[in-house]
Amino acid sequence: MNDTFNCEEFDRLAGELRYVITDMICRAGSGHIGGALSLVETVVTLYWRVLNIDPRNPKMEDRDRVILSKGHGGPVLYAALAYKGFFPKEMLGSLNADGTNLPSHVDRIRTPGIDMTAGSLGQGLSCACGMAMAAKMDGKKHKIFCIVGDGECDEGQVWEAAMFAGHRKLDNLIAITDYNKLQIDGFTNDVLTLEPLADKWRAFNWEVLEMDGHDWDNIYTTINKAKQIQGKPVMIVAHTIKAKDCSIIENKPESHNIKVDDEAAHRKYMGALKCTDYSLPY
Amino acid sequence: MQANLHEFEMRNVYARTLLELANENPNILVLEADLSKASGTNPTFAKEFPDRFINCGVAEADMICIAAGMAVEGKIPFCASFTPFATRRVYDQVTISVAYANTNVKIVGTAPGITAGPNGGTHMCFQDMAIMRAMPNMIVLSPCDCYELSACLRWMAAHEGPVYMQLIRMLQPKVFDETYTFNPGKAVHLHGGSSVTLVSTGYMTPFALKAAEQLEAEGIEVDLLHCPSIKPFDADSLVASAKKTGAVVTVENQSIIGGLGGAVCEVLSESLPTPVKRLGVPDRFGEVATENYLFNKHGFGLEHIKEACRQMASLNKMEGTQDAAVSSKGERN
Repeated sequence: MNDTFNCEEFDRLAGELRYVITDMICRAGSGHIGGALSLVETVVTLYWRVLNIDPRNPKMEDRDRVILSKGHGGPVLYAALAYKGFFPKEMLGSLNADGTNLPSHVDRIRTPGIDMTAGSLGQGLSCACGMAMAAKMDGKKHKIFCIVGDGECDEGQVWEAAMFAGHRKLDNLIAITDYNKLQIDGFTNDVLTLEPLADKWRAFNWEVLEMDGHDWDNIYTTINKAKQIQGKPVMIVAHTIKAKDCSIIENKPESHNIKVDDEAAHRKYMGALKCTDYSLPY
Repeated sequence: MQANLHEFEMRNVYARTLLELANENPNILVLEADLSKASGTNPTFAKEFPDRFINCGVAEADMICIAAGMAVEGKIPFCASFTPFATRRVYDQVTISVAYANTNVKIVGTAPGITAGPNGGTHMCFQDMAIMRAMPNMIVLSPCDCYELSACLRWMAAHEGPVYMQLIRMLQPKVFDETYTFNPGKAVHLHGGSSVTLVSTGYMTPFALKAAEQLEAEGIEVDLLHCPSIKPFDADSLVASAKKTGAVVTVENQSIIGGLGGAVCEVLSESLPTPVKRLGVPDRFGEVATENYLFNKHGFGLEHIKEACRQMASLNKMEGTQDAAVSSKGERN
């Protein structure tokens, strides 16, 4: 990859994507904002600095794959895909609109650049295992990135997939847990504790790395380190903040899915963003 | 297709056909969830193609989604397990990662209905055809003998899209021969008659055929439609037959709710209201028992099929006046 990283530019891009994501959700009247905003730096790093992809050819055979197993995070991928040129930015205004190609949960059939449908939690990591197995059978060198939610890890199927990937030594599979410590009903430690999360994955024969999911250098070096690991699948536990940079809901359970009833509420969420010096592309 | 296929157990034909297909197409894969010996792919397929035989362990949900991921990458995975674990246990995984995502996954439910025998109520699934039929994008098949099974598998491998198929594991009486070709969405007319229409599928078709043949001696002419494809369902053949006979009996190795009997009633109630008697398992769970015990308990063995045909054929004669009323609308001769 041609890496032209500039911290200030990336900060500005992350702010812009948060601005657009928040507006998309507000326009739609409701949406899963918290888990989209917590992933912005991770997704930007993947799409701008890591992935081998071609926006003009979303189905390029040797591209790296991304499965957003926490499918409700769709808006963060849509914003990234549009800004990378997979589809016109104008489309971003159609989130959840009647007949939209940008549904709340990601859909491989409707949206260019979405590699797998997800939304019913717990299934995406298994699908990623299938993609990783297929790539190995075909002697392909691309990587399969799978983003799971922390609350999603309550699902037993996640651990079935964990066992399978460990057993099959799927070292072309890199999973990332968006560990924002919140799920719909509250903090993960109160609802159903995941700890010791990193040790759980180690016990399932995964290599485990941890990163600050809002620190550009840390994210980039961690993902690159993960790409070099051989003989094991890799889990990156990304420590993140739910609804990052939207002050009125940041790190609050109610950020999981907001309801935006009117213009005033729309303005309230937009005004709570750390940076608002942007214009909308639609 | 070889001419002596009926001498083999159905699961053996399943594995042998997949082996042939795998030799022809490098994308054909077998996925199992620790029941590979039961479904016949181990050792037949596993030994020949160890790299294309993926045992997922006792993790059916994982297996279905692994298959979906593989299918997205161009593979053609055949996933098998006992019918309850291939369908109701993984209903959401199949719904979302296979049907909704429209991935090219083939799901095979083995030991359907009462053929689960000694495994009893936990393994005896009577609703897989009903629940799989209710799923958009899903095709539902239930072949009745080895030749039809082999033909269905060949069609499944060539067809791009999700398919669910029931697989009887044991020896099955020969209904067809090596010239059989599977026609998706089409019923097979196995016996001609005008007294009563009998509609069957899968495991019950050999019994239905025997019933039709034996009823000839009584002067009851059975129009027998065998439906290897429950979805899409051959509404045209059913309506044409019902128009001719005016009375319909259905028989299936399933609950009478929502499966073949359900499909028949849906079609007829909208296209040609006709009296229907559904044979199969009423709204009950299975249990450890012999076939005869279960046939007698639930009333869908050979003698029950014959009796239902007699009753429906006579009802048809007795209710000539009602029939005439329908005729007057020009809907039935």
